[in-house]
Amino acid sequence: MANATINLIDKTLVGSIGSRPGALGFLTDTTLCIGCKACEVACKQWNQLPMDDFGWTGHSYDNSTDLSATTWRQVAFVEQITNGDGRVHEMPPFQSNWLMLSDVCKHCVQAGCMQACPTGAIIRTELDTVVVQQDVCNGCGYCVPSCPYGVIDLSPTDFKAHKCTLCYDRSKEGLEPACAKSCPTDSIQFGPVEQLLERAKQRVAELHASGVQSAYIYGDRSIGGTGGIEGDNAFFILTAEPEVYNLPAFPVLPQNKTGAAFLSMFGAAIALSIAAVATLRGK
Amino acid sequence: MHMGESYKRNWEPRRGGRSVSDESSASYYNVPVIHKPHWKWLIIWYFFLGGISSASYVIAAIADIFGGREGDRIKRVGRYLSLAALIPSPLLLILDLGRPERFYLMLRIIKLRSPMSVGTWGLTIFGLFSALSGVIQAAHDGLFGWFKPLNRVLLALPSTTINGLGAVFGFFVGGYTGVLLGITAVPLWAKNALLLGPLFLSSALSSGAAAITLVLSLVRGTNHRAIARLERLDTVTLLAELGLILLAQANAGPVISRPIREGWLGNVFRWGVLGTGIIAPLTMQIRAILARKQPSRHAAMLSSALTLIGGFLLRYVMVTAGRVSADDPQSTFEFARKPPK
Ligand code: SF4
Repeated sequence: MANATINLIDKTLVGSIGSRPGALGFLTDTTLCIGCKACEVACKQWNQLPMDDFGWTGHSYDNSTDLSATTWRQVAFVEQITNGDGRVHEMPPFQSNWLMLSDVCKHCVQAGCMQACPTGAIIRTELDTVVVQQDVCNGCGYCVPSCPYGVIDLSPTDFKAHKCTLCYDRSKEGLEPACAKSCPTDSIQFGPVEQLLERAKQRVAELHASGVQSAYIYGDRSIGGTGGIEGDNAFFILTAEPEVYNLPAFPVLPQNKTGAAFLSMFGAAIALSIAAVATLRGK
Repeated sequence: MHMGESYKRNWEPRRGGRSVSDESSASYYNVPVIHKPHWKWLIIWYFFLGGISSASYVIAAIADIFGGREGDRIKRVGRYLSLAALIPSPLLLILDLGRPERFYLMLRIIKLRSPMSVGTWGLTIFGLFSALSGVIQAAHDGLFGWFKPLNRVLLALPSTTINGLGAVFGFFVGGYTGVLLGITAVPLWAKNALLLGPLFLSSALSSGAAAITLVLSLVRGTNHRAIARLERLDTVTLLAELGLILLAQANAGPVISRPIREGWLGNVFRWGVLGTGIIAPLTMQIRAILARKQPSRHAAMLSSALTLIGGFLLRYVMVTAGRVSADDPQSTFEFARKPPK
């Protein structure tokens, strides 16, 4: 990772995620991903998600490009093209100019979508995952701009909010989610967050030892799960800056400011009512 | 996402990413980092009408308590206007839901950290106050003479106290819409989370004052003194609005404020919101004040019409520009560039 971002990281928070003991999550190790998109397909199959707009993006081998109400795993193909002339000048021995990232809901420890939800449709399950109850959601859409990662979305077919459930129906029975099950390289690993975190730290150390100095964990309290989010139950191992994968480096939990925002509004209300009394006064 | 001019990648020859501070580098094929809200016209109209309804109610309460004899006319118009602007509000909100038939699920729970939840409750309570005050006013105006028992009950109710209590919720409804936008991940809004509440509130008050002025100057037997007072309130709130809006633009910084500076929206913001909606009525009113003249009826009508147009356009621009800023990956990256303290 380039110095610009790493220098800003609070080193004391590296590798810390504030989830409950026993919380389940994902470790998505992008250094192992081969971009086969088996996870995307398995997710659609198991969760019976309809297909999206079936066409070519025309700019990439990646034709799904973004998470949506009907795409809960999405593999980004980040192509490392060379400087403008369209020719690859150097083929690194590792990851050969391709970065693959299977993106997914982060199942935030403090989730923006869930705190925004006015019906209480979005809940935290006993597995510490974040799930939308489809029989309660009324499609107000407030969760959509409240997710700092652009995960949750309204479906154009049933007008309700949908996102990854960490295969609640499987994981509560002790089965791993469909994406993790189908991943042929174990780039997607499922399990208790503490265990995954240990494994991730080991893996990053291994990568560093073998010369991939840029490897790091995204989704802990130091980067990716910052600003009151307290870490992500679904976190990643990346080898380039978060922005390269279309991820925000230091997201914040929007609801951090709810109290202050209402206070400043009431302050303004007091000032304006004084102005109104002064101007409307009469006998 | 379609391939277009927007897609031009210039990556460094080596893996390891680009510098975050290099603004020219695109993101992942310009795919938005966050998802924008679906809010469009229904919400813009609600923000506008809800603002007028709440502000007319607040102005009615203050005119009732402090306004003396001229205050009576303001109060009367304010209460009716509040009810009239309120009636479409819940309908607009419910129609905007993905599943309108489930709207009542909002009222099964209250979540203090969610402005949407608090706002729904605030609007519900305010709606009851506004309806009650409107009906009481109607009874005072003799509209319920045909139904004696109801008339007697309504006339016995303490209308000033009810209006005063409801005004607290009126202030809330006028401002929470700004808080609602601010408490999201949308860069243009989130960056101004503390400013949007005061901005929407002062804009609501200027629209409310303008709406009452317009009605007063349209009915016969115009009371110049009532109009002059409302015009002064309009001036103060427009000044507050102008200050807050410029502060918000500066606070957003050059990248995040792009949607309100560039293109079609930038023009609507500059010429519509600032020029037509704020500077023009302010100039008219301040000139009248400097010349120590009562504003003429036609001047009052014109400046209130301009204020109302500005109030609507402000909401249009803020909602739409937020959607544009959510679609711009560079805006989100800029917003999430430094570790929060
Ligand atoms: S990543 Fe977004 S959708 Fe997933 S839990 Fe966090 S806020 Fe909710």
